Formats: sequence, structure tokens, C-alpha cells
Amino acid sequence: MIGLRPALALLLLALFSGRSLAQGFAGDVDALPTPVGTVALRVDEPPGDYALLDVGVVILDPGIPADTASHGEGGIFPEIRRAEARYLPVLLRDALIDAGNWGAVRVLPEAMASAELLVTGEILASDGMSLTLRLRAADATGRTWLDRIYRDEAREADYPVAPGADPFADLYRQVANDLLAARERLGERQLLQIRQVALLRFASELSPEAFSSYLRRDGSGDYVALRLPAEGDPMIARVERIRNQEFLFIDTVDEQYTALFEEMAPTYSLWRQFLRESAIFRAQYEARVLARDSDARRGSFAAMQEVYDAYKWSRIHAQDLDELAQGFDNEVAPTVIEVSGRVYRLNGALDAQYGEWRQILREIFALETGLPITTR
Amino acid sequence: MSLFILAPLPGCGEQPRPLESRASGPVDFSGAWELDYSQSDNLQARLNALVRELQRQAGPPGYNQPAAAISIGASGRNSGASIVGLAQMAEYITRSQLLEITQGDSDILVKREENFALGCEFHPGQTSTLETPLGRETCGWDGHQLLFRVFLPEGLTIQHRLTLDPAGDRLNIATTLVSDRVSTPFTVNRVYNRYDPTANGIRCRLTLTRGRVCTTESP
Repeated sequence: MIGLRPALALLLLALFSGRSLAQGFAGDVDALPTPVGTVALRVDEPPGDYALLDVGVVILDPGIPADTASHGEGGIFPEIRRAEARYLPVLLRDALIDAGNWGAVRVLPEAMASAELLVTGEILASDGMSLTLRLRAADATGRTWLDRIYRDEAREADYPVAPGADPFADLYRQVANDLLAARERLGERQLLQIRQVALLRFASELSPEAFSSYLRRDGSGDYVALRLPAEGDPMIARVERIRNQEFLFIDTVDEQYTALFEEMAPTYSLWRQFLRESAIFRAQYEARVLARDSDARRGSFAAMQEVYDAYKWSRIHAQDLDELAQGFDNEVAPTVIEVSGRVYRLNGALDAQYGEWRQILREIFALETGLPITTR
Repeated sequence: MSLFILAPLPGCGEQPRPLESRASGPVDFSGAWELDYSQSDNLQARLNALVRELQRQAGPPGYNQPAAAISIGASGRNSGASIVGLAQMAEYITRSQLLEITQGDSDILVKREENFALGCEFHPGQTSTLETPLGRETCGWDGHQLLFRVFLPEGLTIQHRLTLDPAGDRLNIATTLVSDRVSTPFTVNRVYNRYDPTANGIRCRLTLTRGRVCTTESP
């Protein structure tokens, strides 16, 4: 028995680093990806303006299991996850902007089909010690640029988090580098096609009567431009103006996410630091207690008090973490709600104006082409 | 001393009844509670009762045989050290003078002063269980009573049975300790009365970066 306890303690420590991830992957330990390690951000000069695709980073799926019973076991604090889902895309956006290889990079409240390059994803695990995201990127033609699980581990030196830094910055740098590598596999013609298809998809959404014939979907479902509008086509110029209006709205939404990021950053950094220290302390404490040999006689007050106190302190520690999560919610939730409200209002306004614009555009088309006015 | 009717307690070797994820009727333990010593069990009296019970189990005193079959000072089962240890543990575990209970449709949290909180989540068809390397906790409803069971190493099991009186202003917690070194469980009842923690006009809430922030402003 004496030999078994230290062995159990060692096993516990050995398993410790992968614990939260195994939970994040529903126990599939084989699926654990290798951490990205130390990554330097590539800041190569773009080959030309044609390569400066606009990138939309959609807020992440928080990855909260519907089965609420699993939240405690999986170390998932739903409100914090929801806040992270808005916070983490801002870090990816910043990495892409820092790389200087892209056009406008925006955080979007929802997927935008006509985006030149769209990044979507899900939080698989986030516990201050490691971060695991599943990310996908696809361009307007439907071509997948990447679809992989990224994982990064924080080092002790990453905490406390310095202003402007992030313990998992390597992960975002890796994604930025992978996107750049994916873009480098495409030629100028293909990149120009992406931009053309993006505009035509937007135009087609706006006025299917006028633009749907410009596009078709091939056997794999990807969009192909059959023909292009004539140079100086006034209708496409109108479409571009309206798209710029949409971008203005989205930039305002993006600013709201940035504001949330800035307000949340100090609290979130502290939370992740607590989470990491707590997990390390708890694993070490449990290992120490399990490895300890008691001199107290079984059944005596001293022996019972020893096992009770060991359990009590481990529970108090876990519950302190719950309290801190509540403190996090108390502090961040009003901001999240406020930002969500503003984003919602913006979406509403955007949708409404879109509808009006689309209708006006259709009417202009009807006047110019003699086609009947259609409503969607 | 207690005004509450208690269900039979599982003893050593007895299989505890399975717990339910729903109460048999509406029961709301929410609120702040303070210990009422006058209504709670006297620990010495409970210890005396345990000793009498163990003596009864050991059989009547025979010719040339002492009444107490309890081996005070010895190290075997039902030793004096184990029995007194159980009573000391009961006092140690139940010394919280204040409780703060929050209860929702699907969960409850019983915060106990100077102790860890007892938490339970109610999911249909599931018994709420918490496994840690240092112990296991289960909880659920037994009719209108809420039960928490904590299974610890060294053969120690602790059960807390929470019962609300019909008026809802008094709470009984019957704590039962089962040790594999004592043949009879030891139970102690603690009675709590409802009180209003905001009577002093101060309201506090926890924040992560500023700790507990209190205000005298009304909500």
C-alpha cells in the first residue's frame, strides 16, 4: 500500500498535463494535437495588391456541451467561455494585422458568405495552461485553406500577463503563418478569382436576377465565376458602394469587439493566471496527500480528521475557483451584455438597411433593364 | 431535542437508498441560516447514547462480566478511541454556525462557515456524483429531504440530511458518521434558524480584480 500511493501520485502528476484536454476531446486522448511551440510571425512583403485578401474572423463557437452535468467535470465555466468566444478572435485578428499580409481583417458577429477569406472555429479547451481551438478557413470560392486543431501551452513566464501580451500568442501566430502558407500555394489568377467571386456572391445575394448567371457551383460545391461584369459596369459600381457600406457597419461591430477585448483583458488575464496556478497547486496537493503516510491509527480522530481535511481543502480550493469565476462574471458580464446589445442593434440596423438597399437596387435594376421587380 | 422526523439511517454494511433528482414536493432551502444551540443536539448526550447502544449490541452483562463490552483504550473495532474519535469528528464537521444556501431549479449550494460548500446538481435520471482522488460525494433528494453523502478513505462516510420545517424558517441538518471501526453510526442534529444578512444595510458582491466590493446603496 505504501508503494502504491506514491505510484498513484506519480500517475496523477503524469496525467495532469493532459487532463483538461482529454475532457475537451470527450476522453479521446489520441486526438490531442501537438502544441505549436514557439512561433515567429512571418511578416513577408505581399507579392502584390491582388494578394491582400480581406479576412473575416467570426466569433468562435464557445464549445459548451449541451449536457450541463458535464460542465463541472470538464472545468467549463459557460459564461467565461462565452466571453472567450468574443475575446480570442480579436487576438487572431491582431496577429493577422501584425503580419501585414492581408487586406482588412475584421471580427464578425456571424459568418458572411461573401467574405474573401472567412475564419471560423470552436473552443475545444481553455484552462489557462493550454488553449485548444479547432479552426477552419475557407475563401469565397469555397476552397478550404485550413481545417485543423491548434493547441498551445502556456509557460510559467507567460504569467502574469504583460499588457499587450498573451500566453497563447504562438497559436495565433501559427494560424497567421498557416494562412500565409496556404495563400502562397495559390497563384495570382486564383487570388483574383477569389476577390471576383466574393464580389459576385455579394452582388448575387443583393440582386439574384442580375448576377446569379455570373456564378455557378462546380461538382464539389465550389463557386466558379462564369463571366465578369464589364469594366466600368455601373451596377457593379453600385454593388461595390453598398458593400463598402456594409464594411463600414462591420467595422463598427469590430470596434465593439475591440472595446470588449480591452475592457476584459486585465480580468481575463488574471483569471487565466488563477486557473493555471490553481490547477498546478491542486495536482501537487493531491499527489502530496496521496503519497503521504499517516502515523495516526485507523478510526482515531486524528486519522479521520486527516482524510477529512485533505478532502475539505481540495474542495475549498475548487470552490474558490468557482467563486472567482463568479467574480469574473460579475465584472465582465455587464460589458458582454452591453456589447452584445450594441452588436445586436447594429445587426438589426444592418439587416434593415440591407433590405431597403436591396429593394432600391432591384427597383433601379427594374427601371434600367425593364425586368420585373422582385422581392425576397 | 429536534422537532423533525428523521428517516432511518444506513448503518455499517447497509446499502443506502438511491437518491432522486427531484424533491417529492416544493422545498426551498434558500436563505441565510444561523445555528440554534438550544435546539441542537448535545454531543455528550449523543455520545452516551452511542455507548449505550454499543453495550446493548454486545449483550447483557453476565456473571463476572462487566457491563461495558467496549474496549476503552484498545485499538480494535468499537475501541474507546474510535468511539470518542467519531464523536469528535461529528463536532468538528458540524461546527459551522452560519450557512448560506442558494437553490435553483437544477442545483443547490450550501455554503458552510469554516467548511467546504455542499453542492448538488439535479439532472433527471442522474445521481449527482463528484469524484476526486481524495473522496467521492453524491447527493440527491430522499422525498422532501436533501441528502449529501461524502465517502472518504480510511473507512469514513459522512451523510448530511437536510430537512426544512413546514413553516420554512427552521432547518435541521442530521449529520451521520459511519466508520468501519465502530459498528454503529453516530448522528448529531444541528438546527438552524433563518436570519436576514442584509439587515445591516450592506450588500457585497465578489469581483475578480477588486475582491469583495460592498455597498450600502439599495439595489
